[in-house]
Amino acid sequence: MSESLLLNLVLWLPIVGIGLLLLVPSTNDRLARWLTVGVMTAQLALTTVLYLGFDNSAAGLQFSTSIPWIPQWGVSYLIGLDGFNILLVALAAFLGPLVVLGAFLNIEKDVKLFHAMVLFLQFAMMGAFVSQDLFLFYLFWEAMLIPMFVIIGMWGGARRIYATVKFFLYTAFGSILMLAALIYLVHSLNQSSGVTSFAFTDLYRAQLPLSVQTTLLAAFALSFAIKVPMVPLHTWLPDAHVEAPTAGSVILAGVLLKMGTYGFMKLGFPLFPDAARAFTPALMTLAVVSIVYGACLALVQNDIKKIIAYSSISHLGYVMLGLLSLELVGIQGAIIQMVSHGLVAAGLFFLVGMIYERCHTRELSAYGGLARMLPVYSLFFMIFTLASVGLPTTSGFTGEFLALLGAFTAAWPLHLAGDNYPLILAAVAVSGVVLGALYMLRFALTFLFGAANAPHQPLSDLSLRERSILGVLVVSIFALGLFPNSALQKTELAALRYKELVTTSRLPMSAP
Amino acid sequence: MPSQDALIAMLPEHLLLGGIVLLIVLEVMGRGSRVATWVALAAVCASAATAFWLSHAQFSAQPFSGQYSVTPALLMAKGALLALAVPVLLMSRSEFTDSEFSILLLSSLYGLCLLPSSDSYLVMFIGLELLAIPVYALVLLAYRRPQSAEASFKYLVLSGAASATFLMGVSLLYGATGSMSVDTFGAALAAGDTMTRAAVVLMVVALFLKSAIVPFHAWAPDTYEGASVPVTAYMATLTKGAVLLAAVRLFGTTTVTGPVAHMLMVLPLVSIVWGNLAAIRQQSFRRMIAYSSIAHAGYLFYAFLGNGSGRLQSVLFYILAYSVVNLMAFAAMPENGDDEQRDHFDSLRGLYHRNPFAAITIGVAMLSLAGLPPFPGFVGKFLIFKNVVAAGYTTYAVLGLVGSYIGIYFYLRVIQVMFMSERAAASTEVNTAFLSERRAGGTALAASVLCLAVTVLLSIVPGWVLAAL
Repeated sequence: MSESLLLNLVLWLPIVGIGLLLLVPSTNDRLARWLTVGVMTAQLALTTVLYLGFDNSAAGLQFSTSIPWIPQWGVSYLIGLDGFNILLVALAAFLGPLVVLGAFLNIEKDVKLFHAMVLFLQFAMMGAFVSQDLFLFYLFWEAMLIPMFVIIGMWGGARRIYATVKFFLYTAFGSILMLAALIYLVHSLNQSSGVTSFAFTDLYRAQLPLSVQTTLLAAFALSFAIKVPMVPLHTWLPDAHVEAPTAGSVILAGVLLKMGTYGFMKLGFPLFPDAARAFTPALMTLAVVSIVYGACLALVQNDIKKIIAYSSISHLGYVMLGLLSLELVGIQGAIIQMVSHGLVAAGLFFLVGMIYERCHTRELSAYGGLARMLPVYSLFFMIFTLASVGLPTTSGFTGEFLALLGAFTAAWPLHLAGDNYPLILAAVAVSGVVLGALYMLRFALTFLFGAANAPHQPLSDLSLRERSILGVLVVSIFALGLFPNSALQKTELAALRYKELVTTSRLPMSAP
Repeated sequence: MPSQDALIAMLPEHLLLGGIVLLIVLEVMGRGSRVATWVALAAVCASAATAFWLSHAQFSAQPFSGQYSVTPALLMAKGALLALAVPVLLMSRSEFTDSEFSILLLSSLYGLCLLPSSDSYLVMFIGLELLAIPVYALVLLAYRRPQSAEASFKYLVLSGAASATFLMGVSLLYGATGSMSVDTFGAALAAGDTMTRAAVVLMVVALFLKSAIVPFHAWAPDTYEGASVPVTAYMATLTKGAVLLAAVRLFGTTTVTGPVAHMLMVLPLVSIVWGNLAAIRQQSFRRMIAYSSIAHAGYLFYAFLGNGSGRLQSVLFYILAYSVVNLMAFAAMPENGDDEQRDHFDSLRGLYHRNPFAAITIGVAMLSLAGLPPFPGFVGKFLIFKNVVAAGYTTYAVLGLVGSYIGIYFYLRVIQVMFMSERAAASTEVNTAFLSERRAGGTALAASVLCLAVTVLLSIVPGWVLAAL
């Protein structure tokens, strides 16, 4: 089998799955569920082959396909793997089957449509990660909204319509400005060099004056910052998480939010390096505010889903911090932190979903002393809590530590040169770790210990299906925490390339 | 030989005329109602196929010098618009079985075919009138409802006013240049004297009136609401497209500058914003589509800001992408004994649970109209805004895109009503309406399947379609 075919297969498998779903009779929910699990597992298996076959030492794209699509505009179907996306592709493929398995009991109506939407979302997310052409990327980026809109709106909680419309309108606003910016970017590339192309590699060569770079970066950054989300553009996230069904929350926290940080890493900063460097202090401040503010908000929530939603805002702040540090360790830490947060937040949302299925309330004050009633559940809960806090040996530690290390490494020379601001920011960011421990332990303490209290008694402990979902996640969290080297090696060249792109000035040679 | 040229160059028109004559003969013989739709369908298909074939054969001719000419690109445009009439005919089957509808529609299509080929203002005027006059009657055909008469009358008056404005402009232009050739319009755009400028403004206003650009839009919502579903579909897509093709013929490949450019920047922008804003509070599907079509007319006129060489292609692709999904939505609308009930949003409530195919089709149509990828509406929008940016009007491109963002809300609301409301949530009053609801007839279903196929084609291979246009 040729190499490029494999990646195409991984990308298009969910669409094949939707085709197969259409053939399933609408009364046979069981078949629809297992079919989707099968498709997702096949995708995971193929992705594993890709992951193992990925050459760490090769610069440039691997497993790539390039077919002219709209030749008149220079748009091509250009997909491929590189160090930027390999881990995220693996993450998305890894969470796929778990999401479907996790939704076995709580999705009861319109089962076929639900699975079709999950598959379509998987397709769009994979597509956004692997596309190396800006037009194609935008296509997938926007296409992601539609299935998520339907998933939250059809299978969500009581205020699902409000939440899903808010989600859509927030993200679509960023996208529309990004669309304007990308049209302008491609136009000016064409004006300055005569090249009509949407390929990332060509766009990385566009030379723009600082004012233009700033405007375009602002448009791209708005779109990505809404998706991450960064304070103050985060208000859609708690609503979407709270109202979404468990599967929706898991995909949202696990993969979808990474789109924002991936966008900054792959497009935002490398496309407009001079503007990015000029605005690093401002963006870094926002990242640190996200870390601390998200953590503070998580500390005072009474809704268990909201705690984890706000913790996501805080955790993704570290990713931004690492990316902005422009230090190799920080950038790699940011990538690890993306994957780690994907795994940990997914696990926590699964756990919250499982308790909600049993007790039908998300109020923290309604629970207490679950450790005695649900020992297995509580054990898993403790592991994920500690991973979220960033206990060494778990993946959360690796990511946060490396990202913070990067921030300090970058801030120290500036401090010696007399600029204390980055160092202060980095120091404040560390307080986020403490706050993180505080809110997660408060959560675990009320939830697991103290007087036994649960809205629905007696409770049954986790089933084999639930145990296997969480077990697989736990294994992956420790694997990434104890042996981060394999992952770090895969990203090293990409991190260097990112650093090179962002630190090289691309102002026009003959500036007016 | 000129007579042979006239025969071949106007073959699409001749086939339509043949269809009209055949329908009248059949009607006189009393056999009209049974086969009317099929005869009309055959005529339209043959006509479209001929246009495509002539275009493919690179046929170009001037059978009536200075009056009428065809080129491969124009034939392609004609063929595309004629092909769009196929779903209109298919979906009309359930409402109109008499031959009046088919005869009127074919007559209007004849006018449509004249427009892009007209070389003189006279032919263009005939085309515009021939396009509009049958539509007055078509609107009135839904005479079961009192609003139809009002709608028809409104359209008559407004369309008449547009024609008068157009004629006034033409006569001023004739006075200034002494020529009836449409090529004088391009030169007149740049002219500075008052008479020519007044003529240009009058003619552009006439086009704005016909295609419902704010502030000349007020007739559209009332007329669309009063007409029956197939006629609304026809007006929202083909009539609008034909007027735009006439505009392309007038503007030619001239790059627009000066005061007219301001008109072409500001009024379409206002249309986009106002159309999308006003659509939000509509309770009737057809009124909503009317406001949506006002916004889309805005995008279409944006295409005239850009470089002249790509104008026909952008406009045609946009019309195609916009019309196909619009027709698809109308074809998939659940049928209802009561035309007004059918129109109300409540009849769409929970549609997914009753008729998943219809709900998904309408949903795709709404997303495409909103300009979201991967649907063809996005590619059309991209094409137009790309040209606007390339022409240097970046601010207007950004404002237009932000205006299009406003529209997303009400398109989403349709999806929300269809997919996210419970079956039981519908009120009892509406429940009784459901009882009289029938599944869309076989032909309407065929129309929506056809449109869906074209939509998928446009989404997967837009490059191929663009190259063909």
